[in-house]
Amino acid sequence: MFVRPDNWNKMSPLERRKARLDAWQDAPVQFASPEAEANYKERITRLRKIYDMQPHDRPIADPFMGANEYVARRKGIQGKDMVYNHEKLREPLLEFHRDFQPDVSVGMLPYPGKSWDLLDFKLYVWGGQKLPDNLVIQAVEGEYMRPDEYKDFIADPTAFWLKQYLPRAYSALGPLSMLADFPRISESVDTIDLLVPFGLPPFQEMLRTMMEAGNELMKVLGAVGQTMGMVTAEGFPGMGLNIVKTPFDYLGDTLRGTKGILMDMYRRPNDLLAACEAYVPVLVKSIVGASDRTNAPAALYVLHKGADAFMSQEQFEKFYWPTWKQVMLALYEEGITSYLFIEGSYNNRLENLAEMPEKSLVCHFDKTDMRRVKEVLSDKFIIAGNVPASLMSAGSVDEVRAYCDDLVGLFAGTPAYIMAHGCYFENTTDEKLRAFMDSVKN
Amino acid sequence: MSQKLIDAITGMREEDALAITNELLDSGVAPVDILNACKEAMEVIGKRFESGESFIPELMLAGEMMSAISDVLKPRMAEEAATEKLGKIVVGTVQGDIHDIAKDIVSFMLDLNGFEVTDLGVDVPPAKFVEAVKQTGARIVGLSGFLTLAFDPMKETVAALKSAGLTDVKVMIGGGQIDENIRQYTGADAYGKDAMAAVAIAKSWA
Repeated sequence: MFVRPDNWNKMSPLERRKARLDAWQDAPVQFASPEAEANYKERITRLRKIYDMQPHDRPIADPFMGANEYVARRKGIQGKDMVYNHEKLREPLLEFHRDFQPDVSVGMLPYPGKSWDLLDFKLYVWGGQKLPDNLVIQAVEGEYMRPDEYKDFIADPTAFWLKQYLPRAYSALGPLSMLADFPRISESVDTIDLLVPFGLPPFQEMLRTMMEAGNELMKVLGAVGQTMGMVTAEGFPGMGLNIVKTPFDYLGDTLRGTKGILMDMYRRPNDLLAACEAYVPVLVKSIVGASDRTNAPAALYVLHKGADAFMSQEQFEKFYWPTWKQVMLALYEEGITSYLFIEGSYNNRLENLAEMPEKSLVCHFDKTDMRRVKEVLSDKFIIAGNVPASLMSAGSVDEVRAYCDDLVGLFAGTPAYIMAHGCYFENTTDEKLRAFMDSVKN
Repeated sequence: MSQKLIDAITGMREEDALAITNELLDSGVAPVDILNACKEAMEVIGKRFESGESFIPELMLAGEMMSAISDVLKPRMAEEAATEKLGKIVVGTVQGDIHDIAKDIVSFMLDLNGFEVTDLGVDVPPAKFVEAVKQTGARIVGLSGFLTLAFDPMKETVAALKSAGLTDVKVMIGGGQIDENIRQYTGADAYGKDAMAAVAIAKSWA
């Protein structure tokens, strides 16, 4: 939990950022040993200097893009276990940290398989459910908002989510559509409208299912929390991230589908723009709230549909960038750093990112030209990336080493660089991963 | 008049394109001539895509327009215009991967460029590719995969085709994380970075 200092309202964005980073860095940890404590402090101090873009002894290597899957794979653990048997990953994860001594902890993802089963979640399929046991999860796109419903979303995104989206995305939540329109609950008799659904058997059944799903979720969070507590206690700090997306990607990934939203750019551009605008205050409030609750100093954007190949620069600057920038600037005002995981290539968008204030971003690239990245962005922002997943999978140890060495050399004179993968690598060997990790330690 | 249709399609004016199609039909233009105009428009869009002037939204919207126009034309055409096909291709997203968007665009562009495409859908096991190649007599296979987990199923599919004796079948692969490393790893004959690259590769093999 992040508690704002009394003078918060008088603080500048960078002072607020410092307050959040201080709280994250100083969060109490029960260490497993004095050695673990010393290692933790060394690691988090280095990480903090990277966040601050201050001089430090060496870059860090962060294998989080795919390490989770690899930790399981190297011990023969099935994808379905990552969704249903979270305790099974504990020892392999601890062993991985002991073996590889990463600069940053590899987080365990709390996929709640049993809760998803109970709610009949539609947006993903997973191992042990509709995917084979060896796979983890994959997204299933659908149209969860019809074109004629843009007006409902724009008028009230939260009500749309509660009464229209959630009942479609989770079959068991269908009765949520019976809920009253809350802002009309005012006069004495309006209590009737508020409570009627709660008295009806289908709604009550839904509530029981939600409680059961909630109980299952608590078991998952308990198991994962215990594991990550042990990882931290052994001396490995995390980056401190909450996951978020851009307004355009929320609308595209979740409500309209890729084809739907890309066609909307032509068929109903004004609705799409208004929906992106309507999303901004909702997202900002939500991310600030999550950052306060979790004491995480940064928000991780998983960026999808704004990449070079997805749309023209003109379309990007009309549909994708303005509302995303508004969200990032609002977070910057609140002292929250935006960590951008930029899938695909962003060669045409670097100048847009450069519009953001200094230290507001961590830019983690996949297929973007890192030489241009250095030129355009490395003075202002922390840079991460971009070891290809294909190299981790099909390249030799020497090739991985050479690629990483080149990146280390390239960013040697810049304020802050994080060695990272361009994409989920899933499949590699210990030798290649070690070459990746060691590349920053020479 | 046909130029008006070409301009509407390449200008991404969906409603106009359909209205002009109907006008052309009403004025007695043969459906096959309208189809040819559509193909000409698609060539323009394809070239713009290659040169970085058009992007996925334009390919998708063009696909929508083609489909709507062909729905109008089909009942008016006494028989399908017998066009010479460049060759047969089997296309699919490999086993374990359920992503279809890029694969659908590739299928569409191959079809439009004169190939007879058998699209096996997503999560396609190697044996199904082998079976489809045998059934259709296709000499080209296109394997799509969005996720990094697609690397191994691609490799297995290439191996399955070879071990089924289909050694003269050429395989091209594509997807977000596919590059020359993965082409070598899977044993595929070529990889393409986008739908137009897939068309160029297929044409070079046809």
